[in-house]
Amino acid sequence: MHDWKQIVREGLDGLKLDGAAEAEVIDELAQHLEDRYQELLDAGTPEADALRIAVEPLNSNPSLAEALRRARRPAPPDPPERANHLALMLYDLRMAIRGMRQKPGFSLMVVGMLALGIAGNAAIFSTFNSMFLKPLPFPDSSRLIDLDETAPKWNLHYTGVADVDLFAWREHNTTFESMAFFDVPNFNLSKLGPAQHIRGAKVSSDMLHVLKLKVLFGRDFLPEEDRENGDKVALLSYGLWQRLFAGDRGVLGRQIVLDDVPYRIIGVLPSTAVYPDRADVWMPLAIGRTEDRGWYLGGIGRLKPGVTVAQASADLLRVHRAQIAAGRTANRITSPILTPVRQKYLGDYRAISQALLVAVAVVLLIACVNIAALMLVRASARSHEMAIRIAIGSSRGRVIRQLLTENLVLAGAGGIAGIFVGKLGLQAIAAILPDSMPGWLDFRLDLRFAAFCIVITACSALLFGLAPALQASRVDMRSALHESARRASPSRMRRSALNILVISEIALALMLLISAGLLLQSFYRVMRVDPGFRVQNVLTFEVDLPGQKYAKPEQCVAFYTRYLDRLRALPGVMAAGAATAPPLDGNWGQFFEVEGERPLGPNEKSPVVLQVAVTPGYFDAIGTTLLAGRKFDERDGASKDHEVAIVSETFAHQHWPGRSPIGKRIRHQDHTAGWWQVVGVMRDEKHYGLDAEVRPTVYMPERQLAWPMSLSLVLRAASNPESLIAPARSLLAQLDPDLPMYGVHTMTERLDRSLWARRTYSWLFGAFSAVALILATAGIYGVISYAVSQRTQEIGIRMAMGATPGEVLVNVLRSGMTLVAIGAALGLTGTLAAAGLLESLLFGVSPRDPLIYIAVVLAVAAVGFLANALPARRAAALDPMTALRAE
Amino acid sequence: MATSFLDRELKKGSAELLVLSLIEDRARHGYEISKLIDSRSEGMLKFHVASLYPLLYRLESRGWIQGKWVEKAGQRRRRYYSLTAPGRKVLAAQRKGWQQFAEAIRRITGIDYA
Repeated sequence: MHDWKQIVREGLDGLKLDGAAEAEVIDELAQHLEDRYQELLDAGTPEADALRIAVEPLNSNPSLAEALRRARRPAPPDPPERANHLALMLYDLRMAIRGMRQKPGFSLMVVGMLALGIAGNAAIFSTFNSMFLKPLPFPDSSRLIDLDETAPKWNLHYTGVADVDLFAWREHNTTFESMAFFDVPNFNLSKLGPAQHIRGAKVSSDMLHVLKLKVLFGRDFLPEEDRENGDKVALLSYGLWQRLFAGDRGVLGRQIVLDDVPYRIIGVLPSTAVYPDRADVWMPLAIGRTEDRGWYLGGIGRLKPGVTVAQASADLLRVHRAQIAAGRTANRITSPILTPVRQKYLGDYRAISQALLVAVAVVLLIACVNIAALMLVRASARSHEMAIRIAIGSSRGRVIRQLLTENLVLAGAGGIAGIFVGKLGLQAIAAILPDSMPGWLDFRLDLRFAAFCIVITACSALLFGLAPALQASRVDMRSALHESARRASPSRMRRSALNILVISEIALALMLLISAGLLLQSFYRVMRVDPGFRVQNVLTFEVDLPGQKYAKPEQCVAFYTRYLDRLRALPGVMAAGAATAPPLDGNWGQFFEVEGERPLGPNEKSPVVLQVAVTPGYFDAIGTTLLAGRKFDERDGASKDHEVAIVSETFAHQHWPGRSPIGKRIRHQDHTAGWWQVVGVMRDEKHYGLDAEVRPTVYMPERQLAWPMSLSLVLRAASNPESLIAPARSLLAQLDPDLPMYGVHTMTERLDRSLWARRTYSWLFGAFSAVALILATAGIYGVISYAVSQRTQEIGIRMAMGATPGEVLVNVLRSGMTLVAIGAALGLTGTLAAAGLLESLLFGVSPRDPLIYIAVVLAVAAVGFLANALPARRAAALDPMTALRAE
Repeated sequence: MATSFLDRELKKGSAELLVLSLIEDRARHGYEISKLIDSRSEGMLKFHVASLYPLLYRLESRGWIQGKWVEKAGQRRRRYYSLTAPGRKVLAAQRKGWQQFAEAIRRITGIDYA
């Protein structure tokens, strides 16, 4: 008598079921072997042979223990009764999480793609939203309109509002509820700790009324304070109040001294009063009705309810024309221009924000397409399971519900991850925005939009994830239940759906890549633009001279001369000078006429000229190149009969093309000064930024200025310019302890700042297109791998019939690369058609630059080839026997 | 090669159907099922311990069949398998599928199974 249980136990070494279950299996198999043995004996088989034959299947299947263990694995728990919705939902959820954990690779891929798409969209959209869509922090802000004047004749889009026009507009318009005007001078704040520089706003008395804000405490300006020689009163901003007085409510009635003039504090502004220009302190504008100093005011108006911008523009134009009719001829040149406040300040960034929005939308689209493809691939793997479930009595609704839950769990996980990453991204974007952004911007992740992204991606996951359920409920059991039948004929529809998805992915990725290529190339070109001055080792800062103490031009000249002399004596200073507007900072428009040129007709263009007043030594400090003639010296501008100018090459070219300007004479068009003799020609400098237009420029000696002007100082250092900050500050304190030094930057910093926007969007675009390429590559790889796995048997048969591995490789590669080629062709066509849209953002690169197009197409082809090559090699390496048997 | 491939595939695809059919009318134990497959196919199809029991356990865990231990006097206890209600539905579906499949093969190849 044999111990059958022992025999089975030895044969199934490693069954590793729990005690009772293992005993049962051993019992059952032992009985089977014994029955077989007994039967063989009964049939007359010799005992030794019978034993061998009976035990043989046990020993010839080393994986039997494993197969038994897997078969005995407990089935999923039974679904609860239909009526209990909550329990049913929890059950679905449990099953979904179980399913995710069984396929971690698939789940991670879906979650990762969703997260990428959602994060990019949420971050960029939130930026866009806070810049362009969210209402300003003022009540009824959609009715707030920026008021300005425009002068195409001078090549100036905004001139500022003329003080004369202020009264006419305010009194004669019929479309505005209220209007306010302002000027934003800087002030030196003294007598309260160390001297500091603050931003001021001289506002007309109705400013708070226009913004619909109220003082935090104290009172608003009175109309009589907003008149010439009105009382010197001031409202503190919330920030300055906190900074200077630590939030002490006892400030009312106290004094602050600005540019040596004492002002009485009458109130504190709310923290929302960030317009105009994030000013630290407000005081009355106090313009007299007879003043006529030109165009320098900012304006803001609140439209009456129901009035459009166009109606208001027409209204102000009517008032403006009436002014001309009344004899104000200067108004012929300018005309009112009305812009919604937000657009006025952020209009420059609108195009790029929209382009970025399109880019993230494309990435989101690609992520959706990839998810759709993944879901379709999984669908086929599961149609068998679905068919069985329906066969054994699951209702169609039940199965669909189960799938829905699985996909919702995936979408939910992707969404949460996306919001997290998006939040980080937004913080990064907000951190690199420049100081010059308006103060009302508030960068927060827009949760409603994040939810919108999640819904979009979830919809794509649901739509394509439901395919297996819908298919299974329609499917005829024969093909779905029968493995080999299913394998032999992969759904043609599903294959072509996948192909279309891959093609669109490649097309979209290609479009993004080309755009990114063009933008990065533009950035590279801008970086290589010669600024016209030497950027390295230059320190710039500003010192404003208050009009009270430095009332005469000679006092200013004397101060800067003394200060510069001391600065030049510092060790490490190679050159020092000062100017009204060094490059990348400031603007001062003037109009010149040239001796001997015929006077301009009334309708002829007279482009504005940049006028820069400079001290001796300035050109050496900033490092511009003298093309002809000489630089300024101490004698220039010292007397009325020795007034001179240096012109830029653009100015020279405009007025004396092909001739030398040296010795020629120019003067202001309004004849407010005498003739200046041109003594030199300077190379053009990129005054408004490396990627901006160069305006004609006239340099004049600072001594020629008829009124006091504050200057920016420029120091050229032997090395590290920042080491000069501290000594320059202490020299300044020795000369005048009430003067703060502010706006301290190296020239390199200024240049970097001037390029932040281009740098940021170029790299963001690059990042998005890289993500798009990665997603598209993953898509190609997934779909081709799937196709190969579907064709395993077919490939096996081909190889059994004599196809070589090489032929199989080429066959698979060809089918994959066909998709890549079609996608690339579509992408190219699309990009060529849409290329014009990018034009305004490019610099020195054609939107149809062939080199970039070719490079991107080659790169996409190479990446596509790699993504195809892996599955193709796998197919070629198939052993025909394994392939045929493959499950 | 071709015959053994066909054999293997057919067997795999049909194994479930065979087992379900055999226990449609009455509960049977494992050895009995393997004997019946052997004898009714006149030796063409053979199911050994190694192929039969994983299959039985799988069908059981899917809820299509149910096993019960039965003890008879003078014998060791045996496990008898019977068809469950879902199993009956699967059997009907698979039977129909095979009929259609066989019919399709017959129409194409002219082989008559009857």
